[in-house]
Amino acid sequence: MRGWLVGVVAVLVCGCGGLGATPADAPNTLVTMGFGQPDEHATARVAVFRAAHPEVDVRINEGAFDEQQFLSAVAAEDPPDLVYAERRKLGSYAARGAVLSLDDCVREHGVDLGEFREAALRQVTHEGRVYGLPDFAMTRVLILNNSALRAAGVDPASVSTTDWSALAELVARLNRPKRIAFDPKVPEFLPLWAKANGVDLVGTRLDDPRVVEAVRYTAELVRRQGGWASFKAFRDTFDQFGAQNAYVTGQLAAMPMESWYLNTLATNSPDVDVTIAPFTDRRGRPLTESSGQAWAIPKGARHPDLACRFLVTMTDADTWVTAATARRDALAAKGKPYGGTFTANRVADERIFREVFDPRGNRILERGVPQVLALQDEAFALAPSPAASELVRAWEGGVNRVLTGRQSPEDAMAQAQREAERALRRVGAR
Amino acid sequence: MKRVGVWSGLLVVAVAFGYPFWWLVSASLKDRAHVFDNALLPRPFSPGNYVEVWRAVPLTTWIVNSVAVGVAAALAATAASAVVAFGFAMFRFRGRTLLFGVVLATMMLPGAVTMVPVYLEWHALGLATTQIPLWAQNLFGSAFYIFLLRQFFLGLPREVFDAARVDGAGAWRLFTSMAVPLARPGLIVVFVFELKAAWTDLIKPLIYLRDPDLYTLSRGLKTVLDRFGEGGEAQWELVLAASAVATVPMVLLFLVAQRYFVRGTVTQHVE
Amino acid sequence: MTGRAGWWFLLPWIVGFLAFTAGPMAFSLWLSLNHYDMLEPPEYVGLDNYREALTDDRVGTALWNTLFFTALHVPSQVVLALALAGLLRRAGRAAGFFRTVVYLPVMTPPVALAALFLLLLNGQNGAVNAFLGWFGFTGPNWTTDPVWIKPGLVVMSLWTVGSTAVLYLAALTRVPPERYEAARLDGASPWRQFWHVTLPGISGTVYFTVVVNTIASLQVFTEAYTMFFGARGKQSGEGDAALFYVIHLFREAFESLRMGYASALAWGLFVVIAVVTAVQVRLSRRYVHYEGER
Repeated sequence: MRGWLVGVVAVLVCGCGGLGATPADAPNTLVTMGFGQPDEHATARVAVFRAAHPEVDVRINEGAFDEQQFLSAVAAEDPPDLVYAERRKLGSYAARGAVLSLDDCVREHGVDLGEFREAALRQVTHEGRVYGLPDFAMTRVLILNNSALRAAGVDPASVSTTDWSALAELVARLNRPKRIAFDPKVPEFLPLWAKANGVDLVGTRLDDPRVVEAVRYTAELVRRQGGWASFKAFRDTFDQFGAQNAYVTGQLAAMPMESWYLNTLATNSPDVDVTIAPFTDRRGRPLTESSGQAWAIPKGARHPDLACRFLVTMTDADTWVTAATARRDALAAKGKPYGGTFTANRVADERIFREVFDPRGNRILERGVPQVLALQDEAFALAPSPAASELVRAWEGGVNRVLTGRQSPEDAMAQAQREAERALRRVGAR
Repeated sequence: MKRVGVWSGLLVVAVAFGYPFWWLVSASLKDRAHVFDNALLPRPFSPGNYVEVWRAVPLTTWIVNSVAVGVAAALAATAASAVVAFGFAMFRFRGRTLLFGVVLATMMLPGAVTMVPVYLEWHALGLATTQIPLWAQNLFGSAFYIFLLRQFFLGLPREVFDAARVDGAGAWRLFTSMAVPLARPGLIVVFVFELKAAWTDLIKPLIYLRDPDLYTLSRGLKTVLDRFGEGGEAQWELVLAASAVATVPMVLLFLVAQRYFVRGTVTQHVE
Repeated sequence: MTGRAGWWFLLPWIVGFLAFTAGPMAFSLWLSLNHYDMLEPPEYVGLDNYREALTDDRVGTALWNTLFFTALHVPSQVVLALALAGLLRRAGRAAGFFRTVVYLPVMTPPVALAALFLLLLNGQNGAVNAFLGWFGFTGPNWTTDPVWIKPGLVVMSLWTVGSTAVLYLAALTRVPPERYEAARLDGASPWRQFWHVTLPGISGTVYFTVVVNTIASLQVFTEAYTMFFGARGKQSGEGDAALFYVIHLFREAFESLRMGYASALAWGLFVVIAVVTAVQVRLSRRYVHYEGER
């Protein structure tokens, strides 16, 4: 025992259990939070900044944005210099005054905000001021399984979300055990369905008849395909990232999905026969919801000027093109196609898809990517709210209660509306 | 007949409890298209996952950090908790019951609400971004282990201690020369439990560490997960390979340590 | 032993308690009387947070879910761990191997475990339902049906019974063999031996595991959060069926940025746990025997 105590003391004295870090408040140091470096999109862009500013010590604290990590640091008045997070989350922090306005930063560096896609920028704009620069831009598209549809005598070109009763009939026709005919992707895609029915989920009442109708309709689609519990359990068996994904096995005929899934399909099942089509509103107009991350500078950051330079560099068109090229070359070295990079910077996208895009004959990418690209400017985004997470929880909870048959759509969304009001009142009280 | 019953029981246990680990190792050796195919044996066999993940992230550094932090945490927790537990088990004094109630009470408040204040304290001490907060609080004992070892000490026969006291042994001598050897299985259990707890703890490293060179393995695993799994291209085979790398040292430690859990029964030592 | 020497042994804990535990606990108690979003300084609001907690529907749901889980989890954990420990003790020379196997799930990283258990418990093609199928049962949708999510989580929690089993195993080997001999001479059946020799012999350890498992189980968080609320769970829609008390508290604190309200919730749970533990401690005086007291 005494030996152990000596050991503990030794550990304490030599400090080998407690290596210290060089202080983050040294000049020319940049600490980021929430950013990871999965591929060349990240590494090549960071390299661009490092090359332009070799004197700066950039410390990438890797890992997806984590509230506990960020808020502990903020509460201790020791925030990172930069934070990278989903725009919806950053918008909520902006509305609470936790991140700095970038108006001066943007002006100083001559950034043309017009280059950024409107929907993406809207997510980080609060009361007319910009609080973050958008990074990637994801959209949502319909992915149709041609073989499954044709086998059932359905022309993939005829499948759309424009005519809701026609879609419901299609589901009735295609529905059979061990196959999902159409997955409406609720609750997470409810904003898209509500928008297709003419309403924005933020800024409208959640018990608006058009929201209720969207909830009723999508829940009904699920009910007709076996009900939520077995529908979801069956969907969970899909090997989403495998060579035997649901489009290959024919377990799924159609669903709206985030655009990144095209790349997954192209990599893991390059020969699968799918059609990419836009999600449409009830008048037939293409429609998509934009999502993605943005860079922001927390209030109290030690090096706001350097941080500004960093986020301007990261989201600049030239930087994006450099990164896209590096990405393409890395994939080409492995003999893989490059499906392009969807950024929130319109100028960057134009150049990437003109100069860099290289599908190497992959049909999914060749046909799908132009569809996704055309949709970028049709994208909408919900306005930022200081109570964003509570609003999402309120409507998702409402949809869940309908899906599991515990409440009628009217009651569920009325309750959701009450919860949303309470959350907004609480935030307003501050 | 009885042996057949025991062995078939053990077989069921081995399958049921061994399966998750088998699944993990097997999936970590599959290629991307087959990670979740649930096949017992990896086909095609892709040991390259390990090479790739080792090349992509500094696993060796993280393992070294985890060993340092884990051993410091386990040593501190074992030594300090044993001392405190001995105090609770062997002495009668006013306020003992109340104080032990307070020990238990420290386990009852969800850590989510004390996390930020504790962080503020370490920040005020200027140590918030070092590895010290990951283990140093164990120097004061930890409620769970104090309770565990108190039960251990209470289970020791009183007569032995009384005899030693008659021989004039002081309290500290009773502790070091009698209680510690007699309770050695308990101390090893505490050491292993705490090493495992520190090894797998994510939340503290996530909050405190900012420099990748200081990351522990579990913090590094989050990087791997966000880079290759949820945040990246769904290269789950790499995430699982890193998970397996994180698990194997613990398995080896346990394999070595478990024999001491059951050795040193009371009667043997008294004889 | 009596006297002051005892205090010297407690000193490390007392110092640590005053330095690192009492302060944060008191701070959180004070925060429970404030609005605090961690971005701005706290703002005193009196008992508002507690008043709100009493009218928060989700608190009721979460508390019910948590008590339900604990009532199933703790007893089944004890029974299974006892059975395992008994079995492991008879494993002879392979004991080390089997002990390690039982402890394996405890050491597997939670991310891998959560992914695996969603596969194992899947209602459509999971291994658990396939197993039930051999006996002619049609298994439920453990991971998606609100009625079955909590029992599913209990089943999953049993995989980490290894820690408890290890403690029982260590305790079992300390029951003096003479007692079994004596009981056998009296003609006691194995069942009677278990009740009259084994259980009293390890009652101190059983008591410890019941108290500690109850405290931990009333704060259950990680597995359910990873499976149904974390990044993986974002695409799920299980709603409130897996909403445990600390998950609700955690989301209020870090997603809704309401640390003051979360602190009030935490102190509410503290009271519940303290009452439950006090009852257990009181009961233990009747059932728990220590070697040292004989």
